[in-house]
Amino acid sequence: MPDAVKAKNGTRRRPRRAAEQTARLSAEVELVVGGGGVELRRSTAADEPRGSLKGLLRDELAALDAERRNEISAELAASPLVAEHPSLELSGSLYGIREALRERLPACAVDARQPVGLAVEQILAVDEGSFWITGWMHDEDGQGEVTVVSPEGIRIAVTKTAFRFERPDVVQFYSAQRGNSTRNHGFTAFFELPAPSLLTDGWIAELRTGEGAAVEIRCPSPVLDPLAVRATILGELGNRGPVGGELAAEHGRRALTRLQERIVAESEVDSVDIYGEPPSEPAISIVVPLYKRLDFIEHQFLQFSTDPDFAEAELVYVLDSVEQKDELAAKARELFALYKLPFKVVNLTAGAGFAGANRHGIEVSAAPQLLLLNSDVVPDRPGWMTAMREFYLAQEGIGALGPKLLYEDDSLQHAGLYFHRAPGAELWENAHCYKGLHRAFPAANVARPVPAVTAACMLIDRDRYEEVGGLPLHYVQGDYEDSELCLRLSGAGYENWYLPQVELYHLEGQSYVSDARRVPSEYNMWLHSEIWGDRIEELMAEFEPFDEGGEQ
Amino acid sequence: MSDLRVLFVAHNHPTLHPGGAEAYSLELYEAMREQPGVEPVLLARIGSNVARRRVAHPGTPFSSVNDDPNQYFLFTETDHFDFFTLTSRDKSLYSRHLTDFLLAQRPDVVHLQHTHFIGVDLLSQIRRVLPDAAIVYTLHEFLPICNHHGQMVRTFADELCPEASPRRCNECFPEISPQSFFLRERFVKGHFANVDRFLAPSAQLMDKYLRWGIGSERIEVEEYGRLMPDRRAADPPQVKSPTNIGFFGQLSHFKGAEVMMEAMATVDPGVDAHLWLNGANLELQTQEFQEEFARLQEGLRGRVTFRGPYEHSELPKLMEDLHWALIPSIWWENSPLVIQEAFFHRRPIICSDIGGMAEKVRDGVDGLHFRGGDPVSLARTIERATTNPRLWRSLRDGIRDPYPMDAHVGKLLGLYEETIEQRKGVAVNA
Repeated sequence: MPDAVKAKNGTRRRPRRAAEQTARLSAEVELVVGGGGVELRRSTAADEPRGSLKGLLRDELAALDAERRNEISAELAASPLVAEHPSLELSGSLYGIREALRERLPACAVDARQPVGLAVEQILAVDEGSFWITGWMHDEDGQGEVTVVSPEGIRIAVTKTAFRFERPDVVQFYSAQRGNSTRNHGFTAFFELPAPSLLTDGWIAELRTGEGAAVEIRCPSPVLDPLAVRATILGELGNRGPVGGELAAEHGRRALTRLQERIVAESEVDSVDIYGEPPSEPAISIVVPLYKRLDFIEHQFLQFSTDPDFAEAELVYVLDSVEQKDELAAKARELFALYKLPFKVVNLTAGAGFAGANRHGIEVSAAPQLLLLNSDVVPDRPGWMTAMREFYLAQEGIGALGPKLLYEDDSLQHAGLYFHRAPGAELWENAHCYKGLHRAFPAANVARPVPAVTAACMLIDRDRYEEVGGLPLHYVQGDYEDSELCLRLSGAGYENWYLPQVELYHLEGQSYVSDARRVPSEYNMWLHSEIWGDRIEELMAEFEPFDEGGEQ
Repeated sequence: MSDLRVLFVAHNHPTLHPGGAEAYSLELYEAMREQPGVEPVLLARIGSNVARRRVAHPGTPFSSVNDDPNQYFLFTETDHFDFFTLTSRDKSLYSRHLTDFLLAQRPDVVHLQHTHFIGVDLLSQIRRVLPDAAIVYTLHEFLPICNHHGQMVRTFADELCPEASPRRCNECFPEISPQSFFLRERFVKGHFANVDRFLAPSAQLMDKYLRWGIGSERIEVEEYGRLMPDRRAADPPQVKSPTNIGFFGQLSHFKGAEVMMEAMATVDPGVDAHLWLNGANLELQTQEFQEEFARLQEGLRGRVTFRGPYEHSELPKLMEDLHWALIPSIWWENSPLVIQEAFFHRRPIICSDIGGMAEKVRDGVDGLHFRGGDPVSLARTIERATTNPRLWRSLRDGIRDPYPMDAHVGKLLGLYEETIEQRKGVAVNA
């Protein structure tokens, strides 16, 4: 549309291009109109004259038809420059452009007698570039399309991809409209923007029906807190049929994966407190994430301090419950004064979750071997680390090594992990070999390769850990990180081993399956099976959980 | 040849829940452990603790009992148990957890002492998972037959019930249809079909199961074997007067608590008899019962003394000053262990003339019968026992030693072998 951008005022022309007019949008970005297009450009020399944005829009673009104006606004907001130089100022300018250009549709009044209705109940910011929307729409025939418009002007046709579901309350509300064929009023969807959206106010949604009606509404401001967003998305998954259904596959997985990445990315190492003098070239780094319960540390210290193996070990605690920083520091000072056991404490800027905390601890540690350890694991007797290391070094092609873990009553907590699928079920769940049997149970006292071992106490070569990418971050509130790590290792050709000669106590808490944990657990199980189902099937074809190796 | 692996399943562990069947289960397990070539495993059910908290580890109902690697708890939630159909509502208990346990343990014999709180489904699951295993089931009461606490006593008027049927059971429980009782019976019998051999500690109990439909080729009488305590109580008792009569067990209605209290109130005041109550679980009884019991006790100060719960190991001491043991139950009983214990210490028994009591205590030979449920008959019997020292000596002399555990273990091992052989035959024929 060359006419549309024809320059009208020669004094605002920039010298290089005759028909070009510019306006500053932010420190880095300017708007350029002319030469056959409208675009964003990196700002050039600051002293060049620029026009006012308002005037430019009014003079050059206001005359275009509504559809084209919407397009221009959306194209500008989606420009790669916005992703490169995101700023509130730029977003504010884009919002100004959107408001100047966009055609305002009649506001939608939700009325039981009206043929058209639209509501957006929630927008969740998964991160700056992706969102989750939930609402409902009503029209004559259920064919209408909902478009959501970001404050910056990006337009997303959400109902094209949204998960649709019936809303009995909406059906009830419009029940007087006989013959209406709208089905599945509800929609919920994850969507990604081509460029970030930083403004919290100004989202709108439009509904255009098959019969030509068009209305708009203002949307609520996006929810920003990542944990609140995660809880809400999980709630959606839990409310729309089986957690591992279409919604998870089409929307939930992408949203939660990005969210988990965001949560970990927002957690950085704040400080590393060093107590005593840890070995300068440790043979092994022990990484222990701490979450809430700090009382276990003392019990670990008592055991570790009398174990000569710790002379060449680097002990790294990572505090994932960041609000306990002062409490832990006080405790660490007291315990160090008493036990003289050198160790490090990694403080984070925000909680990173189990896998994330491990990741930070591993990053600040140095040894070629890693021992991932839970804080509620205490050894039965000294020498366990050497026994594990020697076994590991002697075992060709070993991936992860897990020892025998016991409950307080000498029942087995861990003797290797395998995967179980109930008859007729689709999903695999993690299962523990011989769980609950006595520590002396013969078949559990044979070292053997197992499909996976727990990260509650896991020895692994640093190179191998890094080769397969370490503990995955995409599970919600922990569950399957260790088994996925082991599956990655096994996929890379390594074998995971169970070593019963080493015994530690794992005082695993009573986990009541509260409803709050149900959906994350089901989601994690689904995701784990979704990614690894085929590999698991191969592994389980060769693995016999009740192998009586001890008697052969 | 590898050891014979025998899995014992009990509905409680005696360290947590004292009781006759529990004590016997542990004694039997321990006696089997002493046998060369036998490796027993004890799996005892455990429920939530008194704070109603789950005591199992996450992900498994199994846990160790103590240093013994072959003793296990099996946690089941009492609320998950369907007391009518005798099955767990949580089917993964069988399909998942008990299956894993059986596959890990691979017993040659599963000897069930009880399926209460666990469920009769276990019987079928054993057969599915371990087709060759011999399944032996000791019957301790009538729970599989009778919904009235397995007592076979009608819910009205304490009438003894000789036989269950959907119609008769519906008379006892008018709100439960005969159809439901029919299904209950079918369900229990369906699972019982997998049992190779039932053991009945008393003939009267066996008779009721025969009548219920267990084939005579699958059931036999086998008395509980008992480990003999290290020492016997003084014989005769050192105390001459009063004549001390001892009650042992739960103070409950079915155990005849009111009968004996009313009898003591009826006994001729000139008769110098004293009743010692060694019992537990009064607090578990209904409020109504507890009040009635307190009322009866109030009027019997100086003639009846409540000594509270006791440990099995205290028995010789508790028997020391007693002349008689008293078993006044108003239900059939099976084979009350108190009988064996009293006889071991050479104490004649006064008991109801019904069921397992009448069978195990011979009237006029090693004890005295009174008309079950009749306090006046009991009062007259106590008077007779108290005033006649020669009668006491003669009955004392008529007492035989209880069935020793050694003999019992030998019998069971023979039976296990025989059953395993039979199963091989079944497997070949199949």
